[in-house]
Amino acid sequence: MKIKSLLIANRGEIAIRIIKTARKMGIQSYVIKTAKEPNAWYLEEADEIIDFSENFDDLVPEFLDIERIIKSAKRRKIDAIHPGYGFLAENPDFARRCEEEKIIFIGPSHDAIYRMGHKTIAKELARKHGVPLLGGSPGSVRDAEEARKIANSIGYPVILKAAAGGGGRGMRVVEREKDIERMFTLATNEAAKAFNNPDVFLERFVREPRHIEFQILADQHGNVVHLGERECSVQRKHQKLLEESPSPALSPALRKKMGEAAINITKSVNYYSAGTVEFLLDSDNSFSFMEMNTRIQVEHPVTEMVTGIDLIEQMILIAEGQKLPFTQKEIKLKGWAFEWRINAEDVQSGFSPSLGTIEKISWPESENIRVDTGVRDGSVITTYYDSMIAKLIVHGETREKAMQLSSQAIRKFWIKGTKTTLAFCRAVLQNSNFRKGNFNTSFLSKELKIHYHNEPDDALLAAFFATYDYAREINENEEKPLHTENGKAITPWVLKKRLR
Amino acid sequence: MARAAKKKQSTKLIALSSTNKTYEFKKPLEKRIKYQGKEVDIKLHEDPKGFSYIVWKNKKYMLDVIEKKQNRYTIMVNGVWHSFTVETPVSLKRKRYLEQQADSSASVSIEAPMPGKIVDIMVEEGGEVKEGEPIIILEAMKMQNEITSHITGIVKSVSVKKGESVMKDDLLIEIKKG
Repeated sequence: MKIKSLLIANRGEIAIRIIKTARKMGIQSYVIKTAKEPNAWYLEEADEIIDFSENFDDLVPEFLDIERIIKSAKRRKIDAIHPGYGFLAENPDFARRCEEEKIIFIGPSHDAIYRMGHKTIAKELARKHGVPLLGGSPGSVRDAEEARKIANSIGYPVILKAAAGGGGRGMRVVEREKDIERMFTLATNEAAKAFNNPDVFLERFVREPRHIEFQILADQHGNVVHLGERECSVQRKHQKLLEESPSPALSPALRKKMGEAAINITKSVNYYSAGTVEFLLDSDNSFSFMEMNTRIQVEHPVTEMVTGIDLIEQMILIAEGQKLPFTQKEIKLKGWAFEWRINAEDVQSGFSPSLGTIEKISWPESENIRVDTGVRDGSVITTYYDSMIAKLIVHGETREKAMQLSSQAIRKFWIKGTKTTLAFCRAVLQNSNFRKGNFNTSFLSKELKIHYHNEPDDALLAAFFATYDYAREINENEEKPLHTENGKAITPWVLKKRLR
Repeated sequence: MARAAKKKQSTKLIALSSTNKTYEFKKPLEKRIKYQGKEVDIKLHEDPKGFSYIVWKNKKYMLDVIEKKQNRYTIMVNGVWHSFTVETPVSLKRKRYLEQQADSSASVSIEAPMPGKIVDIMVEEGGEVKEGEPIIILEAMKMQNEITSHITGIVKSVSVKKGESVMKDDLLIEIKKG
């Protein structure tokens, strides 16, 4: 069935990203307006707005309200729903409700979402299909004694993880046999507290792995291809800060091997739509399946840049029941792409969120540069959602060229009004091991000592400006009152412009 | 008028950074500074899009005022922020003296850097804390943020409870230096 209208159950940059493709395909787009962001940019880009903004204190947050979203789509006879990422994207109940109500869910079946979302089921599937796994317990570990037995057989260090967990919580690394009982108790208690489920499982612990993920596209006729990998090892507390494609760690032979493993796991659940298979890659090039993300990912643009394939368009075509228009052989990776995540965070204070208004935002435009963003001048970064301002995606013929273009683009990426991670991006690009492609998930904690890049005269110029502004204001004070708004100065230049 | 008279007496202004570095500038302030023995011009500009920048030794430095309260400034240069108080020689001397006096008995207030919910409190009244140690976990923007102590000392008071919501700049904890 041809999709003619589409509800995007999401906000921000990903809503705008999906609208762009919908527009290109002649599909009418609908978005949801919330009281938390009634003036957001994505609302203006869409063809139609569904207003959920009358209640500020909804019991269920707007983008998680399954029944309300379904009802709104049905009333307007909307053909399909795209969940974006986060919110309901990996909720099997939402996909099931769409199926029941004959609304096309642009994503995999609810069954595939459920099975891949359940860590022990997903691991069992991988084992059955010959996909390498970290050694460990087949399912949950019953007690400390069983944990000890398994750990002794696979060797230390091992990691205990909450079966229902994620995001780094409920995890304990065990270095020696004598610690296992204590750690088992701690992990179980933590899991029970955090996820209402004390089940933990045990795995071999890889100390400094790389995080490599493969982009998958699969149609409803059994055709599956991979679109190469993304290197996501630069992370802080399991939060990705930048990604690149391809990975400097993969040879063509290793790419082929890992790509085949990714396709195998995809086929094990009769998966269709776009998906991502995550692996840990050890320093000896052995790799293990971690999990499959059954949605479009934040970092999908790097894959689009090197393959030239519009992933959102493919998701929509697959949801319509169409066959993939290419085979594995026809997919060529061209050049190198980086994605720099620009967040409203204070890198100088441990990446804490920096709220505020984006007074101005501007970036250099060129054919090598793509910027995906949900903000523009005047947009507000609130506590209700994440701190992302924009994703800067840069493409070059080689990794070296892509890094050089990235440095130039970051230098000309200007944001006024809030602290951002731009200075962090510059610090990464200055690091020689990063430049050589020699890094893993310990990059931030061990390699990058200072998390922001400072030029020698920055402090002097800041000191001069503060002093200059102060002196000027003291002089003005004698005749007229202070020019401030909310404690923030209107700089002479801004003032001049306003008066004009 | 008293202030004007006082101003004429002092010959310079000093920016004192949060890391205790000083930058002296001669009055009246002109757009040139003494740098490694030479006078160098500073050009302040605004580009057509409304961004401010300094041109210094043929290089462009993007500029933003993040915070400004009386003589306290937080200025961002090329995406990195720097905090200062602007002092006269007299006020700097007084400040240094008061700091010295207060040093032994002073307590430092730790405030919420953003609105959020207190998820965990790792210290209790009377307990010791070391510089850089996490003292509170504040949940905001889908993230658990560690609030760390920037001094070593004894916890004088804890003003929040677990589960409580706080506004930006709410007092969380007071720490007595030592």
